[in-house]
Amino acid sequence: MAQKPKVDPYVGRLGYLQALVSEFQETESQDAKEQVLANLANFAYDPSNYQYLRQLQVLDLFLDSLSEENETLVEFAIGGLCNLCADKANKEYILRAGGIPLIINCLSSPSEETVLSAVTTLMYLSPSGPGSHPELTALPVVQCMLRFSLSANTRLRNLAQIFLEDICSPSQVAEARSWGAHSALGIPLPK
Amino acid sequence: MASSSGELGSLFEHHIQKAVCDTRAKYREGRRPRAVKVYTINLESRYLLIQGVPAVGAMKELVERFALYGTIEQYNALDEYPAEDFTEVYLIKFLNLQSARTAKRKMDEQSFFGGLLHVCYAPEFETVEETRKKLQERKAYIIRTTKNKDDYTTKKKLVTEHKDTRDVRQNFHSETSGFGASAWNTSTGNSDPYSCELPLCYFSSKCMCSSGEHVDRTSNSSQDGRNHDETVEHCNYNNSLQKIQMKTFQTSVACPGAQKIITPSEAIDRFMPRTTQLQERKRRRENDCRLGTFLETSTSSNEVMIGPKLPGIPKVDMHDDSLNTTADLIRDKLKEVISPVPKPSEDTLKDVPTSHPLKQRRRI
Repeated sequence: MAQKPKVDPYVGRLGYLQALVSEFQETESQDAKEQVLANLANFAYDPSNYQYLRQLQVLDLFLDSLSEENETLVEFAIGGLCNLCADKANKEYILRAGGIPLIINCLSSPSEETVLSAVTTLMYLSPSGPGSHPELTALPVVQCMLRFSLSANTRLRNLAQIFLEDICSPSQVAEARSWGAHSALGIPLPK
Repeated sequence: MASSSGELGSLFEHHIQKAVCDTRAKYREGRRPRAVKVYTINLESRYLLIQGVPAVGAMKELVERFALYGTIEQYNALDEYPAEDFTEVYLIKFLNLQSARTAKRKMDEQSFFGGLLHVCYAPEFETVEETRKKLQERKAYIIRTTKNKDDYTTKKKLVTEHKDTRDVRQNFHSETSGFGASAWNTSTGNSDPYSCELPLCYFSSKCMCSSGEHVDRTSNSSQDGRNHDETVEHCNYNNSLQKIQMKTFQTSVACPGAQKIITPSEAIDRFMPRTTQLQERKRRRENDCRLGTFLETSTSSNEVMIGPKLPGIPKVDMHDDSLNTTADLIRDKLKEVISPVPKPSEDTLKDVPTSHPLKQRRRI
């Protein structure tokens, strides 16, 4: 499962996280980058780390990594975002940083985990009450979810269904369905 | 279900056991060798898939073994799942996710009736409702955990606002004790490896945060079992490193309040080189000394001292005569012992110049 870091108590958790971020920024090795990003993404699972992660601007690091060519890095980055975006402060940060378009791009990734994490992240980023963020329920997104809801992949199907039921309003879904016939959908289903 | 390709565990990619990573840098090697993998709430599930169970009719024992970690709602063998010869694949559904996480962590790679188990999550067995519930519980947990932290920081803020002076030394004590206390608070049964099992050490003098922060750290042994070790870190950003005075301490602490999202313009010098941190610590130590003397003059009797007060180093007056008592005693004794020798010899010299002087010698 997630790694247990051997932390020198003198250094402290913040110091350890800082070392990880520094390594990520400086290293040339793709393997090391993947390992460090996975480490950070797993750290993002625990709410007690959120202050450190914000302080070290790890959220920006995740968002930037979404544009990497290395598919593994994208998968880990969106996984990290998925882990921490349910927190209110993190959510606001991501929204303000313009994270939604980047995450929507992940919906067209060939990697199954990336797509799943992206869908979940979008769900967590939507406001708690009725009335959602306009970008989140834009037509292409809803159409994409409709296609996902017909997928053979159970996990994706379930998530898409939850998205359509909980995040979108019935009118949005109906509109997307009616449009589905004519618009060219450029978002392929993951393998 | 997707068609099987005959390979073990290849029905789904997330069921395949990845190879362990062996190129990790030393400082970030964990205690056990692990693969490079990210676990999200999507991947985790109450359903666990167990591969590699020897086909010896040990289903009952298997379930009993797993039931140690929590209530099992249902279990069954998966006959269609591709498996190695003479092994079986089982699916176990736990009542709650936390039990599943613990069971997975503890039982993965364990030997069972001569075979090595491979345990992984199986979220594809979830129904829509179960997935929805899982996501909602995760969100609720995060909100609850961060809300507790917020409540604690606001409570602390109210307490500090009543004080006249910022008692940095008190915090120093509370931090030293808090570190010790929360080290004991770690619950080993916890399956959350990224929680504060090493509750960290933010003595104000050793703070690795950027300059000007005041770290207010308390440990909260909360009642909620989920919120194991809540160590609240409260950092205030102060832009000028140079003017750390009492006043700025007061004002910066007085407005902790809502957790500020640090915009890039505010975050200064995150990556401080080590040398400046040494200076930083030196500066804080000097501050402590200065504040220490200041506090002794201003009596605040309602100080809340948390944690053991460290015994002060006893101050020794080097001019005190009592220090020399032993030495004087020895010296006097020596004088006593030595002194009879010259006196008798003087007398005898006068009276009997020829006789031998009395030798101080033990006669056997």
